[in-house]
Amino acid sequence: MKKRILSLVTVILVISMLVALAGCGGNTSAGDTTSAVESSTTTEATKTVADSKPVEITYWGDWAGEGQKQFEVMMKAFNESQTNVVAKYVVTQDMITKFLTAASSGQSPDIMFWDRWRTSLYAPKGVLHPIDEYMTKDNVKAEDFYTEAVKELTYKDKVYGLPLTVDARALFYNKKLFAENGITTPPTTWEELNEAAKKLTVWNGKKLERAGMSMQDAGLFSMWIQQAGGSMLSDDGTKTAFNSEAGLTVLNYWKKMVMEDKVYKVGFESGLDKGTDAFATGKIAMTYSGPWMLSTYKNYGKDLEFGIVPPPAGPNGNKGAGIGGFGLVIPEGSKHKAEAWELMKWWLTVPENAAMYGKTSLNIPGLKAATLDNFYSGDELYKPFLETFEFAKIRPTVSGYSTMEEKALIPNLQLFLEGKQSAEDTLKKAQELGDKVLLENVIK
Amino acid sequence: MTDIQGAIIRDKSKKIKISRNARSQEVMAYIFIAAPLALFLIFTCYPVFRAFYLSFTQYDILTPAKWTGLENYKRLLHDELFYITLKNVFLYVLMYVPSMIIVSLSIAMALNKIQYAATTYRVIYYMPGLTSSIAAATVWIWLLNPEYGIVNQILGYIGIVGPTWLANSSTALVSIVIVTVWQGIGGNMVIYLAGLQGIPDYLYESASLDGANKLSLFRYITWPALKPTTFFVVTMSMIGAFQLFDQAFAMTQGGPGNATKTPVYLIYTSGFNELQMGYASTMAFVLFLIILTISMINMKINGENSIN
Repeated sequence: MKKRILSLVTVILVISMLVALAGCGGNTSAGDTTSAVESSTTTEATKTVADSKPVEITYWGDWAGEGQKQFEVMMKAFNESQTNVVAKYVVTQDMITKFLTAASSGQSPDIMFWDRWRTSLYAPKGVLHPIDEYMTKDNVKAEDFYTEAVKELTYKDKVYGLPLTVDARALFYNKKLFAENGITTPPTTWEELNEAAKKLTVWNGKKLERAGMSMQDAGLFSMWIQQAGGSMLSDDGTKTAFNSEAGLTVLNYWKKMVMEDKVYKVGFESGLDKGTDAFATGKIAMTYSGPWMLSTYKNYGKDLEFGIVPPPAGPNGNKGAGIGGFGLVIPEGSKHKAEAWELMKWWLTVPENAAMYGKTSLNIPGLKAATLDNFYSGDELYKPFLETFEFAKIRPTVSGYSTMEEKALIPNLQLFLEGKQSAEDTLKKAQELGDKVLLENVIK
Repeated sequence: MTDIQGAIIRDKSKKIKISRNARSQEVMAYIFIAAPLALFLIFTCYPVFRAFYLSFTQYDILTPAKWTGLENYKRLLHDELFYITLKNVFLYVLMYVPSMIIVSLSIAMALNKIQYAATTYRVIYYMPGLTSSIAAATVWIWLLNPEYGIVNQILGYIGIVGPTWLANSSTALVSIVIVTVWQGIGGNMVIYLAGLQGIPDYLYESASLDGANKLSLFRYITWPALKPTTFFVVTMSMIGAFQLFDQAFAMTQGGPGNATKTPVYLIYTSGFNELQMGYASTMAFVLFLIILTISMINMKINGENSIN
């Protein structure tokens, strides 16, 4: 009987190992086929254009709900505009993780909604397809888009996608509270910002009833340091550069705001969103926010009268803001790259179409010509953002940059805002760890 | 098949036929076991070995793994962030496990006593365990808001200025302990209830006759009798606690100032955000070894006692 058990166990083990090995084998062969597909895509693409049957392409994005409907409107309009390609939007939760497996198993989408800052991490891995050839062929010029946004989609002189939306943070202020406190003009400098914030703050004993200015997001340091005339990284992007005079200026100003003038209390906003949004409910008089909040705040109608101005300038008059947003990219694993490009070209390079998406989704399009539409240039809530784009910069396109901010800088800034370490220590510690993180994340 | 069954079969007269039948039953049994075993091997064992292999490589998911020997382990030795996360998770375990035992045992004892609406109360205490951890965490963020959250408002009524909870690096981890204990009570309470119901009443009766007070009843009867239960609860809570992630991810994103960053959080960000799957595997493996060691120490200290 024992023998029998043993033999059974061995049989099971052998079977499972075989299955496991087969799994391995499957992986490698899948890799081979994708590369085979890659080499044959160009011929395939030319073939399909000649074919009368339309080519189906898949567009991946992680926006559901309203965002999904807006994408589907575009897909429908594109499909009706021509007969060669049928595009379909597929909502993909946890998209990046799924893309990681799809990229290596041949299940890749043809075109993807892309958070632009990820380009510097993914382009070097060869999973995105450069679109320079298509751009030259169809005479699409990078200059027609916001330069910084295209820069964020560029790696080693190759362009990997085009900008769909652009956004930046600007200063939102509550007009009613301004009037009540006798402030006539919104702040344009740090000094004015500080003065206004002091007037707007209300304490009831030890309880903060209204904060003059939101100082919650330590991640905005990169914007503040530009206003102080400094920069985050050294010119070659290999080392941090924020442990500087400018960095210290920012932290001293934060200290004045939070600890001396007490215009904010750390944690004041945590858990307050949607129906209880601190700015919308007047618990915060000023805050840095982006165009993505416009539709929410507009819904409050008369209960919330607000205005927007570009970020105030620092002590030496330097302006600074961060520009971000989304783009569209074509994965290397796509089997219909030429058709994917057709969609991208139609959606992003034709001003009417780019503006159409912008207007339905209340986003600012990445194509400059589309923002000339009166919907944007004639709107007092959009205009401050267009002004901000004039000087706004993208985050450095170094692969370890966001990791550096997340691991080295922000935790130290949070400790500083709590008053647990000095400005000098904060910058020094963040620099030491930050340099190390940048080094560890260099793509070899 | 046990020997007793075998003996019974041997006693029967139709020896050969029945044992052949039994043998085929036995084969069937192994086939049935084989299916889940195969799944276990493929989906649990194989990934574990694979991760062990990956921990010696540089692997970004998108391109083939490169063998780098002990490089990752060397890097881990000098990774101050990993030490911070270990310190955090040890602190968390030290707060979480004892509070869990105290709270779930107290509630179980109370529920064991009450006659009226006992089932309703059990359901109420079990409920948090059924909530998704992310959803619960989201609600707790709001409850713990320093100025407008219910917790601090209640504290305000009795004249206490509540802390800023999640926004303060000194109280953030405590907040997570509160939330996770609240959410974990249900399961452990049920286990303790079962344990309590297994203690024979005559022990309490005779001890009471001998004049033992409530405290001595607990100390000399309940607690020793529940030792195997406690051992189980401690072991399971500890293993779970070392893998803290959901709440730290949803409530504080590891902050403020790294105060709630845990090893699993670091593994997740290294693997999926930085595409350093090899290094993430190294951390995962080291964490596995730590949990294994501590579980074995726990078994050595408490396991043997509880069996005797």
